[in-house]
Amino acid sequence: MSLNTHKLSYYISKAKSSNGSKFDKKIRIALLSSFTINGLEETLRVLCFQNKIDCKTYVGNYNQYNQEILNKDSKLYKFKPDITVLIFDTRNFLGDLFFSPYAISSKKRGDFVNNKTVEIQELVNTFSKNSESKLIISNLAIPTYSPYGIYEAKADFGLQTMVTKFNENLIQFSKNNQSIYLYNFNQFVTKYGEQNVFDYKQYFLGDVKISTNYIPSFANELMGYVKPTLGLNKKCIVLDLDNTLWGGIVGEDGYNGISLGDTPSGKAFVEFQKILLSLHQRGIILAINSKNNPVDAMEVIKNHPNMILREENFACIKINWNDKLSNMQEIANELNIGLESIVFFDDDPMNRELIRSTIPEVLTPELSKDPSQFPLVLLNLNDFDVLKITGEDSKRGEMYQQQRKRTELSQKTKNLDDFLNQLDIKVKIKTASEFTLPRISQLTLKTNQFNLTTKRYQEEEIRNFINSPDKVVACAQVTDKFGDNGITGVYIINKDSNEEWSIDTMLLSCRIMGRGVEEGMLDHIIQEARNVGVTRIKANYIPTKKNKPVENFLPDFGFKKENDLWYYYVDDKVKKPKHIEMIVEK
Amino acid sequence: MSKKLYQIIGKILDVPASEINDESSPETIENWDSFNSLMLADELESEFNVSFTLEEIIDSANVAAIKKHLKNHGVSLDD
Repeated sequence: MSLNTHKLSYYISKAKSSNGSKFDKKIRIALLSSFTINGLEETLRVLCFQNKIDCKTYVGNYNQYNQEILNKDSKLYKFKPDITVLIFDTRNFLGDLFFSPYAISSKKRGDFVNNKTVEIQELVNTFSKNSESKLIISNLAIPTYSPYGIYEAKADFGLQTMVTKFNENLIQFSKNNQSIYLYNFNQFVTKYGEQNVFDYKQYFLGDVKISTNYIPSFANELMGYVKPTLGLNKKCIVLDLDNTLWGGIVGEDGYNGISLGDTPSGKAFVEFQKILLSLHQRGIILAINSKNNPVDAMEVIKNHPNMILREENFACIKINWNDKLSNMQEIANELNIGLESIVFFDDDPMNRELIRSTIPEVLTPELSKDPSQFPLVLLNLNDFDVLKITGEDSKRGEMYQQQRKRTELSQKTKNLDDFLNQLDIKVKIKTASEFTLPRISQLTLKTNQFNLTTKRYQEEEIRNFINSPDKVVACAQVTDKFGDNGITGVYIINKDSNEEWSIDTMLLSCRIMGRGVEEGMLDHIIQEARNVGVTRIKANYIPTKKNKPVENFLPDFGFKKENDLWYYYVDDKVKKPKHIEMIVEK
Repeated sequence: MSKKLYQIIGKILDVPASEINDESSPETIENWDSFNSLMLADELESEFNVSFTLEEIIDSANVAAIKKHLKNHGVSLDD
């Protein structure tokens, strides 16, 4: 069993009392497989419940995924899943060849894999035609037994090559189809061990191919898809310092007395930092929340030869004697991110309890007293998983450094206008394309604060909008003298009639808020409307717990309220702030 | 130890331990289906640190049979 999971019996008994219908986040998951997966749906529902997600599940009939996918009127499609998981297993796939691969020629083995690939590809294409659900297909566990034994590796298109080749084919068509995701089941089996995951007794008793002890870990892996589908992935890791990033207390043990590198426990801290750095490099923001003497701690961060994370890796540094709760809130404010997108690591159980009880939105994992276990805690969190890594993600660290420089400039400059003038902001409006679509969907899923309607759209939906003649989907890329902020704004327009457009979605990443980009974008929409003779723009503000910053945006801009909706009568006024340069890319 | 056995059976099959006796079986307990038999076997194996044979699991038609198999593996259920 992996960390943080209970036995399957726990989930099955919990499932009855885990009704999440009160939660706002909802997901429908369909499970199809070629073997018995009892207990998986209950576990998924409980894990969703624990993450405040209302989860409805559908389990296809035992080994009937073919029929369910091919029949347009099947229960599967009637269920209207958001996510469909299709799990194959190697025995079922290979049939007799599982034990007797060398009873046929290598050419026939090759043909077998090609035929199976075509079969699965057609099945997947049919599914995509009939459903808007994301499809997660598992690859096959590579058999560890071969009749050839140690000679297997030299066999001509042997048993293991057959399965490897099929897995590669799956990678190819998951790359070619945006709504298909490949789940690396082989990696799951490697991680926990084939002789644990596959239990002969359970297999003979009930065609169980993932033993009951490993169903919770398997369900946890699937949560890695559920969370980002609902925009619940974490963006920021807040770290304590003493006994979290290094061993010992720098204020007492001194610069030379802390444990970092060299010793066994010192190596554990270095390893932990290396994993943190790797997450930072792919777009996770790091911050420090430590009760410490800032001079002592910064000395280590800046100069210690074995320190992996350096000052420039942190978007926000709070080293002081304030309580950790107010530090945490300040970090969220300064970085302009929600508390629910933060993970907090602290070795002190009191501090963990303080954060858990006061701001439960922050994910505060248990940390063992033993630093050798820290890397595993981090590696087993699937809360950083995203369905797509965009250019913006990998550049985020750099962007936050630029942000720190902007803050420094704003502190130096006397008034806001001077500051904005000096920033030299350019807003490039781009009509949505296949290239920008993943980022557009990501922004609709993640943006909470500057978001007029908070409508969440999956990539498939955005693609349908792009292809619709009645919609305009566009995004804004914002640059300034400190660098490129990437695509940070989105709007979606419904062309209701020749005279009226309505704003379905308008949002801006919180990093960019308050620099006039929002007025620039809205002014651009009005210009476009005027160009085609539209006289009235309709907009809606749907209040949520988080989008207060956008509450007065419409009236401030000049929209008038009529029956709960906001209207702007298109005129010749230019409302774009002077310090913004607009560039339109068609 | 019978008490521990009844608690485990009760937990897996979602019935009060007090309602379980030697005659309890899939006929008398609604939740006792084939999958729960498997879960029950797994739970008993880890709780009593034993490993049942396939035949023993198949031949666990009631609580008395389960007791018999546990005894064969040296688990004392008398007190």
